[in-house]
Amino acid sequence: MPGADKEADLTERIEAFLADLKRGGCGTGPIRGSGETARETTALLRKITSQARWSNAGDLMEIIRKEGRRMTAAQPSETTVGNMVLRVLKIIREEYARSRGSSEEADQQESLHKLLTSGGLSEENFRQHFAPLKANVIEAINELLTELEGTTDNIAMQALEHIHSNEVIMTVGRSRTVEAFLKDAARKRKFHVIVAECAPFCQGHEMATNLSKTGIETTVIADAAIFAVMSRVNKVIIGTQTVLANGGLRAVNGTHTVALAAKHHSTPLIVCAPMFKLSPQFPNEEDTFHKFVSPHEVLPFTEGEILSKVNVHCPVFDYVPPELITLFISNIGGNAPSYIYRLISELYHPEDHAL
Amino acid sequence: MSSRGGKQKKGNVASEQEEEEQPLQAVLVADSFNRRFFPISKDQPRALLPLGNVAMIDYTLEFLTSTGVQETFVFCCWMSNKIKDHLLKSKWCRPTSPNVVHIITSDLYRSLGDVLRDVDAKTLVRNDFILVYGDVVSNIDVSQALQEHRHRRKVDKNISVMTMVFKESSPGHKSRCEEDDVIVAMDSKSKRVLHYQKTQGLKKLQFPMNIFQHGSDEFEVRHDLLDCHISICSPQVAELFTDNFDYQTRNDFVRGILVNEEILGNQIHLYVTQDGYGARVSNLQMYDSVSSDMVRRWVYPVTPEANFTDQRGQGCTHSRHNVYRGAGVSLGHGSQMEENVLIGRDTSIGANCHISNSVIGNNCTIGDNVVLDRGYIWNNVDISSNVEIHQSVVCDGAVVKEAVRLNKQCVLAYNVEIGPNLSLPEGTVVSMHHPEEEEEDDDDEFLSDDQEVGHSKDKTRQKAFNPAEVGPEGKGYIWKPSVDDTEDEELAQCLWGLVLNPDPESDSESEASEESQDRSRSVSPEIDDVNAFQLEVLGTLQRGLEENIVCDNLVLEINSLKYAYNITLKEVMQILTRVVLEYPFQLQGTQLTTLQYTGLLLPLLKKWSPVFKNYIKRAQDHLDCLSAVEELFLEQDTHQTAMVKVLMKMYQLEILEEAAILKWFSTGTTTDRSRQLRKNKGLQKFIQWLEEAEDESSEEGE
Repeated sequence: MPGADKEADLTERIEAFLADLKRGGCGTGPIRGSGETARETTALLRKITSQARWSNAGDLMEIIRKEGRRMTAAQPSETTVGNMVLRVLKIIREEYARSRGSSEEADQQESLHKLLTSGGLSEENFRQHFAPLKANVIEAINELLTELEGTTDNIAMQALEHIHSNEVIMTVGRSRTVEAFLKDAARKRKFHVIVAECAPFCQGHEMATNLSKTGIETTVIADAAIFAVMSRVNKVIIGTQTVLANGGLRAVNGTHTVALAAKHHSTPLIVCAPMFKLSPQFPNEEDTFHKFVSPHEVLPFTEGEILSKVNVHCPVFDYVPPELITLFISNIGGNAPSYIYRLISELYHPEDHAL
Repeated sequence: MSSRGGKQKKGNVASEQEEEEQPLQAVLVADSFNRRFFPISKDQPRALLPLGNVAMIDYTLEFLTSTGVQETFVFCCWMSNKIKDHLLKSKWCRPTSPNVVHIITSDLYRSLGDVLRDVDAKTLVRNDFILVYGDVVSNIDVSQALQEHRHRRKVDKNISVMTMVFKESSPGHKSRCEEDDVIVAMDSKSKRVLHYQKTQGLKKLQFPMNIFQHGSDEFEVRHDLLDCHISICSPQVAELFTDNFDYQTRNDFVRGILVNEEILGNQIHLYVTQDGYGARVSNLQMYDSVSSDMVRRWVYPVTPEANFTDQRGQGCTHSRHNVYRGAGVSLGHGSQMEENVLIGRDTSIGANCHISNSVIGNNCTIGDNVVLDRGYIWNNVDISSNVEIHQSVVCDGAVVKEAVRLNKQCVLAYNVEIGPNLSLPEGTVVSMHHPEEEEEDDDDEFLSDDQEVGHSKDKTRQKAFNPAEVGPEGKGYIWKPSVDDTEDEELAQCLWGLVLNPDPESDSESEASEESQDRSRSVSPEIDDVNAFQLEVLGTLQRGLEENIVCDNLVLEINSLKYAYNITLKEVMQILTRVVLEYPFQLQGTQLTTLQYTGLLLPLLKKWSPVFKNYIKRAQDHLDCLSAVEELFLEQDTHQTAMVKVLMKMYQLEILEEAAILKWFSTGTTTDRSRQLRKNKGLQKFIQWLEEAEDESSEEGE
């Protein structure tokens, strides 16, 4: 029975992905970059769309939601997964609306009055069956995948607009996007990069090695020296793990220090963040916001006796409030933090925010 | 640390490639084969005891699955039905599980050795496999160790049979179990284990010199290793267990391999990891420290909130100071959860409670003004108001009534009721099982099935509870060792490990005796081998004298002793000489005059001369014997004058040759005292006489 076979294969794939997510991340985050996670999630959702049994858009959304909930629960700190689920849900809504002949765009601007009167009716409207829906949805997901492929390049392309010759640029830790961004600028311009090492995981070291390999003048500093060095810096360019709905960041530990120092010296702080990092989450959701990993890096297990006398914590993320951020550079251009809410309403459907 | 991440990834990829040819297998032994957790493990097998509200076996399976094991054989014996039920319900037996779990049960397993012999008999493993116990908590990535192991096997043609995984952690670490403390000598280049010894209770450690004499020129003697009880074994290990039916534990095996290394040519290697966490819950002390390490996130990504068992409703949230809350937890007004607290689902806690460093299970009810510090409360426990619990374990279904105080290291086993108004002294163990039922049951009891427990329960019903012990409304018996049954006494003490006895002396004693019952041969005999051999030789000679045994038989007996204690021929001779020469002291005490001494000794020498002749044959033997004589008389300097007589007698009895004596006299002077000895008048006269005799003829002596 090929149908059952397919289904078993699908569940196996999902389980493997979930297990991977759960185990992923020994230190700063997953072994792969978030871009890769986003692509994998989308590819898996495409597989679900093509292989699961559904007859109308409502069923499909229900399946995606169910799997999406499990995926986000597996590793709450990995917001990209949830974001991609929301994007796919939005695609389904749009395709359904197109098949029905009405434009989903019109519904976007629902007034408060309309919201109040419409109630939960919209869900029932997805029950109509359209034969070409499946192909259309898959087509749209493929487009999304293509978009994801190009994000880093799209961001890097804007580098020359922001980095000028002989500037001193500070960054913190290691971000693949920032790395690509700086490398792209280095093809045309000469500038100096200062990398904060980002203890205890010291991803900054790797970043510095990669940058200096391409011939960029690079200096590594300790995290404690951030404030002291900041007066010489023209621009701070950082990556982030998540862009929150209020325009704040959830970024690697130490970013808040950099942002505060930059604010004090009125140095512009630029965040390179692809659109898939945009999350409808707000910073007050305490329990999923923090991520504490094994304290091994802070105080090694080999220390012995002292470990039974102290509590050691090793948080991974910092919250950076939106006031400290000057500009976001995403794959679709530059935006101010105050504009993030708008992007979110464009990317995700308001009804999906809570999975 | 992304560099580490990269390495890990690489390791995974590499092992996956090999796995494509052969799936990685694991043998999980879900039985401890001892009674350390009695009386708790009387009702529930150890592998199913909850740690951080998850059964211990789940941690082990999670560890195996995350390292890429695709097929696991779970061996259960004690209460195998419960383990089977648990596993069949868990996510490991779902069809989508990447790790196929086979459950093999038998009541006949009595040790790890039996399990591995069964593995061999059924030819379950085809390739290298991972061997763990069902109570190991770990997040170590063994793929690196596995690669090293496979590489060694490829290069060295299957010489290496086993790689043991150790974690670096300095002495004094609370997660180091004192019982499992080991000292390891290893070759630093090849990571080969040269010597492996448990250190517990030993004040002196001895390393045989020959281990350092060959191989590479760099050695490490390490005491900073924590045994994770994870070993990567080749299929040969199972075969070796079959061949050597006396191997019971891994310890036996390791020692056996090391001792017989030259004969069998097998080697054991070591893998030391710095990151990752691995420990075995071998007693309640370890249970305490592993639980707290778990809550403090040392085992990340295996953390309470990760819900890796994928059970519905098991999920919990993690907030500041490592406070974990399950679904439906209610917390009364003014209650504080200070730090490192894990609370299971649907548990309600009253007002003004003070909870720190504790784990509370599911569906518990806790009253007002309760103080919990390092308390491990399992599921469905009912705790009334004004209760204080310090570093104790309260098992499923227990009821703690008003104003009860549990002092350190108390254990309330399943369904016990305590109180009200009672303070349990430190180290009290209360159980629904009457301690006397131990005596009624036969020795095989701990291996039998659950039926027997049920039936013994009925028996206990008839006995009344003692209100002085468990309170006026209490139910349960103090699990106390019956006086004549030393084994139980040991075990009751050992439930919490060794920390109970701060006195190091009694420590080592109890350990040693415990050892001798638990793992019959695991105390290293090597250190005492020589002494034991000496005692045995003395006993043999004594018996020989009393029962007038022929010298040939004495030789036979000493020879067999030599093999039993693994003593070299040279040592045999030295010890024999020593024993014989000291024999008069043994008989009459050390206050003998020289005259009495020689009077007693000379007939003995004559009697046992065939024994000596049997051992002293080559020229070197003569010299060894002489140096033993010299050594003894250097110690007993009041009897130095007797030495000449002894030598004379030995010469006359043709035990010693004159050439040897002369050679000894001329060469062996190394220390001042021995030079002094040689200046002894009698001795010089004797030597002179010998020299003259040599000139004349050799028949003179007879």
